[in-house]
Amino acid sequence: MIESSELPARRPGTGGTHPELALAYAADDGSFAVYNDYSAGRAVFRPRSETPPPPEVAATWRRTRDGGQVRPVAPADPVEGYGLFTFPYGPISMGVPESGRFDVRTYGERILALVPVAGYKSRRILASVCGQTVPDAALRIERLAGNFSAAHATAFLSAAESAAGASVPRGELWVRALAQELQRVYNHVHVIARVAEAASQNVGTAQTQALAEEMLRVQGSVFGHRWLFGALLPAGPRRRLDAGDRRDLSNVLRRHAATFDRLWELFLGSRTFVDRIQSTGTVTPSLAKEWGAVGPTLRACGVPWDDRLRVPTSPYTDLFLDLPQESGGDALARLLVRAHEVRASFLLIEQLLDRWTTTPEALEAPAPPVAPSRALGRVESPSGDLVYDVTLSGDRVASIGMRSASQANFPLFARGLRDGVFTDFHFAWESFGLVFSEVDG
Amino acid sequence: MPTWIGQAVRHGIVTSRYPAEPASEAEVPPTGRPPVAVKGSKLLPAGASLCPVGAISDRAVDRGRCIRCARCLPGGFEFRGPVESATRTRTGLVTGEPSPAAPEPTPPLAALSRSVHVFLVDAGSCNACNLEVLALANPFYDSQRLGVFFTNSPRHADVLLVVGVPTEEMVEPLRRAYDALPAPKAVVAVGVCAISGGAFAGTPGLHDALDQLVPVDVYVPGCPPAPVHVLDGLLRVVGRGRKAEGA
Amino acid sequence: MTLDIAGTLLTASVTAFFVGAAGSFVDRRVGYLASTAGSVGLLVVAVTVLVGGPVTGATWSGPLGDAEGLSVDALSAFFLLVASIVWTATSVYSLAYDDRPSPLLAVTYSLALGSIALLMSASDQILFLIGWEAMTLASYGMILQARGRSERVYSAAFVFLAFGEASTLFVFLAVAGLWAGTGTFAFGPHLGPGTLATLVFVSGLIGFGLKMGIAPFHMSEWLPIAHSSAPSNASAVLSATLTLAGAYGLFRTVSLLSSPPLWWGAVMLGIGAISALLGALFASVSEHTKGLPAYSTIENNGLILVALGVALLAESDGLTALAVFAVFAALYQALAHAVAKTGLFLSAGYVEHTVHTFDLNSVEGSVKAGSPGEYAGTLAAVLSLAAGPPFAGFVSEWMILESLFQSYRFAQSWVQFVGLLSGAAVALAAGLILVAMVKFAGFSVLWKPHSSPPIRRAPGLGAVVAAVGAIALAVGVLAPWVLGFLAPSASALLGTRVSAPVGSLLSVPSGWSILSGSPFGILSPPMIPLALLAGAAVGAGYCLLGRPRPRRRATLWMAGNPPGQPGQTYTSFGFSTGIRIMMSSVLGTREVRESQGPVAVAGVHAVEPYSVDLEVFDSFKLFYAALVRMGDGISASLKAWVMPGRLGRYLAYVLVVVLTVVIYVAAAY
Repeated sequence: MIESSELPARRPGTGGTHPELALAYAADDGSFAVYNDYSAGRAVFRPRSETPPPPEVAATWRRTRDGGQVRPVAPADPVEGYGLFTFPYGPISMGVPESGRFDVRTYGERILALVPVAGYKSRRILASVCGQTVPDAALRIERLAGNFSAAHATAFLSAAESAAGASVPRGELWVRALAQELQRVYNHVHVIARVAEAASQNVGTAQTQALAEEMLRVQGSVFGHRWLFGALLPAGPRRRLDAGDRRDLSNVLRRHAATFDRLWELFLGSRTFVDRIQSTGTVTPSLAKEWGAVGPTLRACGVPWDDRLRVPTSPYTDLFLDLPQESGGDALARLLVRAHEVRASFLLIEQLLDRWTTTPEALEAPAPPVAPSRALGRVESPSGDLVYDVTLSGDRVASIGMRSASQANFPLFARGLRDGVFTDFHFAWESFGLVFSEVDG
Repeated sequence: MPTWIGQAVRHGIVTSRYPAEPASEAEVPPTGRPPVAVKGSKLLPAGASLCPVGAISDRAVDRGRCIRCARCLPGGFEFRGPVESATRTRTGLVTGEPSPAAPEPTPPLAALSRSVHVFLVDAGSCNACNLEVLALANPFYDSQRLGVFFTNSPRHADVLLVVGVPTEEMVEPLRRAYDALPAPKAVVAVGVCAISGGAFAGTPGLHDALDQLVPVDVYVPGCPPAPVHVLDGLLRVVGRGRKAEGA
Repeated sequence: MTLDIAGTLLTASVTAFFVGAAGSFVDRRVGYLASTAGSVGLLVVAVTVLVGGPVTGATWSGPLGDAEGLSVDALSAFFLLVASIVWTATSVYSLAYDDRPSPLLAVTYSLALGSIALLMSASDQILFLIGWEAMTLASYGMILQARGRSERVYSAAFVFLAFGEASTLFVFLAVAGLWAGTGTFAFGPHLGPGTLATLVFVSGLIGFGLKMGIAPFHMSEWLPIAHSSAPSNASAVLSATLTLAGAYGLFRTVSLLSSPPLWWGAVMLGIGAISALLGALFASVSEHTKGLPAYSTIENNGLILVALGVALLAESDGLTALAVFAVFAALYQALAHAVAKTGLFLSAGYVEHTVHTFDLNSVEGSVKAGSPGEYAGTLAAVLSLAAGPPFAGFVSEWMILESLFQSYRFAQSWVQFVGLLSGAAVALAAGLILVAMVKFAGFSVLWKPHSSPPIRRAPGLGAVVAAVGAIALAVGVLAPWVLGFLAPSASALLGTRVSAPVGSLLSVPSGWSILSGSPFGILSPPMIPLALLAGAAVGAGYCLLGRPRPRRRATLWMAGNPPGQPGQTYTSFGFSTGIRIMMSSVLGTREVRESQGPVAVAGVHAVEPYSVDLEVFDSFKLFYAALVRMGDGISASLKAWVMPGRLGRYLAYVLVVVLTVVIYVAAAY
């Protein structure tokens, strides 16, 4: 665990570029892994060239050239024994509404090894945006994962803006933060609803689903789009964020926050619910650090790491963020972290709306840089650390790399479910908040 | 002491009146409606130059392509198209086409008008369409009140609901799912990705149009379509959809 | 005159087996044909006895002056009847099955059959003991004929022999006790209650229980069959008729003891229920095509014991109607089990013969296309053992549960409690054996292969399996009449003349129904197929005459994957892992993992290849291991003390013995 005194001093960020990240990135030739130096409390890039990965294991990064191969996204533990068989779950199943397969190695009932296999729904986005202008590319990037669209748009745009050397109006940064926090609340509430559904908490499921729908409607009313597509791009749909709208929004969200508090109290009071998720899909702190867990998965293992604090960007540097931390590493701990983050996000939004001084001006497309230039963008998506590595040539994207939270957490999900039983699957799967489309790109 | 029952009573009834009544503004945000040229078709060429996906041509707006990115708004367009936007034919999605509108074909599964079972297939989506389809189960939309049920196997389903732009890798699984559906069956393409490739049209390795892989009976445009739109599409399969606005 | 012919036939039939054994050295087929002839002869004799009355064959004067010889009364006729049905099937089957170069299997097989026939038709206890011991030795030889003689085969055969000799020891004790009480070796006079009767009962229960494989001696049943993979005809004989011989011994012992105390029945009931539960439990987690039926034998023999226990309790309590019903249940259980189990072992032999495996996981239904007889016969045997209507096992299981339901009639509350617990155990066993039987049928004949495996044919074998299945069906459907036919045997056991518990109710014709106590349960087995046929006729009529309805067909769905990928189908092991985990406290389930340590793959991700084995463990093994250790320890210390290898000490022993004899003789005269 890291003492708060060890944390680096917060410094004002400029458009999402962090000096340490820039340094690490400059020293690398492009084939690198991002990991966090927990003892030093900072993010580090390690050159991949030192240990070339064998082809059967997924690269942590998705790059321009990647796409279209069906491949395992977690290391497969080879298990042999009498009576063992492989049970393929997916690519098409209603339990996991996205297309992706899980090869479950089992002798019946118990999961001995689980290998998630992704690549079925690779839309070749990273390859197809090369050669496009930044606004056009952003249309596809934000659709990389529909429920994390604000995080992807923000990370991509801030990388592109850094590469172009463009400065972003302060108001626009606030809009991005608002969008991200709204979407974080939606995703966490949605995850809780899915876990409750798996636990047959019917009233709780309905109530939580209703709250998730309310959050989508809030996003629709503020940004004109239920999933914030286009909302953070130049020339997106009209936003309703003047003083009166902000007051209304604040009132609505206060009501939803109160609803959430009541629901969560009821969930924690339900023994069947808590029993079912306790010690399900457990990730040990050492493995979480070693394998580079991110987001709520990492914080549920007792590591207080959040890009909003560790990669300081405006406006988070000026806001109070109460970072939750749990030590269990199981589905319950991840849900506790998420519930706490819902409250923290409501609080962040309230601070944002409170200090909102100017009506944000329309965002201009960044001016094209003269020479090819490269930069990183890094944000905390609802499921964790999201990094974009963008190289611009003129006003067009020359190459692009992406490391999503799902890519980092998939191996931990697979390992966490090892030795579980079949019925643990959905509790573990939903509690990690993994998205196949984010891995396929 | 708070209880679930107390919470449920306090929450009250939130279920939509749709389709008995038109969809409310809360159910359909601004981008839920397709764009129309506010001052007539003379604006179309200007819109065509702004549109990144080729949904606006000099003669018409293709709702099957529009991803609601709002780029055309400065060109005199507004999101004011009809709410009930699902159609039985692909050409029905093209508004402003001067050719006479073909008569709406009979619903494919009219015999199942009381209850229809639906199986969802993700052929390569961004997850937003999937979540909008799943949202039909929440108390706001409660698709079961209309006899729309989701199944866990295509063998138990009447309708295949496909979201996303079909990737090369999903062609075979998709076809297997279609084959596993017992006849009579219907396919609903949900979202512009499934209809035309949407934002990803023209990418190598992707199949832009679902109807080139399996026969499609109902098209539900939108990026993503709101839950009421999906509901509209499903009801149109069994012939219970609302009459389209202005039709 | 008729009886004389029958007597001659009895002598000739028993002799036929031994002649056949000798003839096998010339040609295997001589042995099997002679066995077939002998079995058919015994069948005729048994029917004659049940219809007409006792039959006496050759008699001679024994060494102790008693009359010895072959004689069949109503009780032994029942067991001979069951055994001869089984043997006819297995002997015909063996003609096609046994393709070994060595004639030893045919020799030992004929000898085993002959010695069982001898002990079942013995008129006195001496001949019975001779037959008993010969049966053990011949079976030992039969087990040794397993393919691929390995250390495992020898050790399994040795275990069989050890348990067999222990059984002989206790049977000796029981016989000695009877002789001491009645002064004769003949089966006839009853022994009244007392210490001697208790000694006879306990020795008999242990001695015959050892052969029946009931708990805690169930090791003697499954180990030789499963571990040595004894030849399938031998397995059927061992499982269906060697254990039947044990049951015969037990029934005979009970018939010779009058006025049983209450606790005999209770002990028998309790042991039977535990055996049934353990047998069913281990059967459901067995992956061996013969181990599974072998465990099921333990379950079935446990059920025989349960019924007999209820009968004894009811007799002690004066509940005559219940006692009669329970006796019929016990007889019917023995009949149903022997027939169906023969079918199951012959089916396993078919699998062995065509697919060359004993592993249920690798059978994969590849015999399905080969023979419709195998298919139908296996299903009938499985349904009967799983107590599915209208098969024989259903009737006997129903009768046993009905008699347990009536344990509320017992006077003492502790007896009621024993009946209650046993009833629960039997019901649980019935559920577990269903899992085992579904597994056997599912992974042998019902399995639908995704690819088309080569068709394996052995039509001769299949026909015999089908015939056995047909018998199981007939015995089930015609149960009221079969029960009536068995009434003399029940009378012989109870010592009074009783009639079968059949009657009528509502519009069912008289004599078509089985009644379990006047105001209790009723079952009409012949009506079940009639009702099924009527239902089918209504359905067919509806389909033919009614409005045609659209039929919706769907193809196989494997979550979007192509079907039939190798290694992606549920294994038989996986089918019962749920039980392994649920019942881990009884089964001693533990997971054994062996790992070579982590191997780093791709940067940070380390994987750990390992092998895993989910083992079940019979905790009774610990008891026997301790027994073996104790025996070894005693013999080692004795060796050091008594036989130190010094000549002088040994000469001293001889001197002591000679002196003792001299003194004893001198004192006598």
